[in-house]
Amino acid sequence: MQTRIISLLVEDHPGVLTRMSGMFTMRGINIMSLTVSPCEKDGLSRMTVAIKGTESELEKVRKQISNLIEVVKVVDLMQEEPIIRDLSLLKVHVKDSKARSEVMQLAESYSAKIVDATLDSVTLELTEEPKRIDRFVDLMKHFGLKQLFRTGITAIGTASGTDK
Amino acid sequence: MPKVKLSGAEIVVEELKDEGAEVAFGIPGGVLLDLYDTLYKDDALRHILMRHEQCAAHAADGYARVSGKTGVCIATSGPGATNLVTGLANASMDSAPVVALTGQVVTSAIGTNAFQEASTFTITMPVTKHNFLVTRTKDLPKVIHNAFYVANTGRKGVVLIDLPKDVLAGKATVNLHPKETFAGYKPNIKPNLVQTKKAAEVLANAERPLILAGGGIISAEATEELRHLVELLGTGVVTTLMGKGAISEHHPFCLGMAGMHGHLCANKAINECDALLALGTRFSDRLTGWLLDQFAPDATMIHVDIDAAEINKNMPVDIPIVGDVKLALSDMIKWLEKKKKLGDKSVWLQRIKEMHSACEECIHDVRREGTSISDSVIKEISLILDGDAIVTTEVGQCQMFAAHYYMTREPRTFISSGGLGTMGFGFPAAIGAKVAAPDKKVVDIAGDGSFLMTCQDLATCVENDIPVVVCILDNRYLGMVRQWQELFYDKAYAHTGLGLTPDFVKLAEAFGCYGERVEKPEDLKDAFNNAFESGKPSVIDVIVGKDDKILPMIPPGGGVIGMIGTERCKHV
Ligand SMILES: Cc1ncc(C[n+]2csc(CCOP(=O)(O)OP(=O)(O)O)c2C)c(N)n1
Ligand SMILES: [Mg+2]
Repeated sequence: MQTRIISLLVEDHPGVLTRMSGMFTMRGINIMSLTVSPCEKDGLSRMTVAIKGTESELEKVRKQISNLIEVVKVVDLMQEEPIIRDLSLLKVHVKDSKARSEVMQLAESYSAKIVDATLDSVTLELTEEPKRIDRFVDLMKHFGLKQLFRTGITAIGTASGTDK
Repeated sequence: MPKVKLSGAEIVVEELKDEGAEVAFGIPGGVLLDLYDTLYKDDALRHILMRHEQCAAHAADGYARVSGKTGVCIATSGPGATNLVTGLANASMDSAPVVALTGQVVTSAIGTNAFQEASTFTITMPVTKHNFLVTRTKDLPKVIHNAFYVANTGRKGVVLIDLPKDVLAGKATVNLHPKETFAGYKPNIKPNLVQTKKAAEVLANAERPLILAGGGIISAEATEELRHLVELLGTGVVTTLMGKGAISEHHPFCLGMAGMHGHLCANKAINECDALLALGTRFSDRLTGWLLDQFAPDATMIHVDIDAAEINKNMPVDIPIVGDVKLALSDMIKWLEKKKKLGDKSVWLQRIKEMHSACEECIHDVRREGTSISDSVIKEISLILDGDAIVTTEVGQCQMFAAHYYMTREPRTFISSGGLGTMGFGFPAAIGAKVAAPDKKVVDIAGDGSFLMTCQDLATCVENDIPVVVCILDNRYLGMVRQWQELFYDKAYAHTGLGLTPDFVKLAEAFGCYGERVEKPEDLKDAFNNAFESGKPSVIDVIVGKDDKILPMIPPGGGVIGMIGTERCKHV
């Protein structure tokens, strides 16, 4: 099993997301993360899909995605030395001032931002590679993680630069 | 093209005509009143009123498979659209080009559970190649043009257009007949020359090459190229169910259909070949069986398909070729013609020819010992029609008897539900076939169970003078399921008995059709003559045995050389 990140340029109109997710369901593939956002071109959106599977399963899915008519372009980001990011918001419980300072120190060493604080909690923002976020989340669990929000993966290739 | 101001319904009809549509099969409803009003006033587009939307979709499908043109069907919102779904799934599975138009509630009511609202767009997404929910009248020209373009290019398929009532009734100023297509749809048709050359080399050098022809050959109009390659190479050819008709089954190099209910010799050839050229097939489990290691284990696998997603999906291949199979065949023929000498295949060809003659003899021997009435019925029909007709089939034993024993000569003359296996398909498909080819005899080889699923459309045949012949293999059972119960479930015949089926002759007569009962296969010839001469839609009810079995077959879990019930095929 491996993770693959596929970046898609798709037409920006209703139903595209349903069609995409329906295709994954139909082919028995589990989506780990899927993000949709506007991109540099009018009328198109960018989707970043992370899926887990064997090499051949992933190859089959890539071809099925390419067959969808609203998909204008498919890029297998693993071929392009991608920069991968995930944005997380964590609300961490701090029971006393000792806990508060420990959380703040750890946040600093991970370059997480403090975006809010209450008497018994600190809210942190960390934009990072998913794996580093996983580690940070594990650390924060020691203090008591009240809430965790993650956006899912977005990624960009470093190879050629622009979409033709 | 100057801009014109038209209603949505007028735009739809204008664009349908521009796309070459001549006929639509449909049923109207509240949200389609504007469209039907426009159709009514325009003679250029024929509309055939069906008696069930499933039949409208199957008729469009049958029309498409026989003519090669895109079939058109129409259904109203809600139940009309949901009734279409089986037919759309059927056409999709077999890659038949169909455009479906469905009515929808007014855009402002979508999502409110309005009267006869169903989310046709989401329901039909998995059973179409593409679908549209149109929300603005001005989008119609581009949508309809692209629906036809997508349906009948690349791997052909179904496109559905959902049309809200206000989009049809509203007016817009538009440019008709746009040529603009979608950036994300570029059907890849040119095969890679390096790959076709590699394939030609392998075939040239092989001692026992075999060609496996799928439905893609027929869909791509590549039957001439196929025959040319087979003869140039001097080797055997087998087909899939969908590929029946890709080459004449009387051709001395042809071993007929392979697969679960195929000819033993065709399956043996697949097992023995040292190079397999698979053309326009998706290696369905009904072809390969379950033991892939028996499927051409010693062969270099070459797979040509227009759909890249089919390559390596079900069958690992050595030489993949993505593109139009007609072009790929022409390329390979060119490479092979350049070669001075091909590897010696004479021993193999001798074996192929011997198997062909033995098989053909068996098929023509109507009353061969140990065969059942059902066998004889289809053999007899095969002799009566002699390939000069269009045969459609229902699903079940009837279908597999037909696929096994009916010998085709031409492409687009054997129309069957391959991928979905839809009971009730054959008869409405025959209606579409007869509309596409009114001068041809059209015969549906039916089962009693299947026919009862769509027989109401006898009314359509009578009303529109569409004289197709339904020939029922009447065994009073859901025979195919019963066969499995007999062979693999200790003869526990759970809910496969149809009991007192209707008197099909009287049923035919009640609709105003010609009906005749046949008790012995030798009386079929007269019955067919009577049916054809009546000029009416006809039902021939042939009494067959409930214990008749379609054999040989690949049993569940088996592979191409594990067929059971091969006693009659001693010649192989
Ligand atoms: C719509 C549908 N329902 C159920 C089935 C499952 N099925 C496959 S063959 C068969 C029996 C068909 O009976 P009949 O039409 O009488 O043909 P026979 O096998 O008796 O020749 C059934 C129920 C199916 N293929 N399609
Ligand atoms: Mg039956």
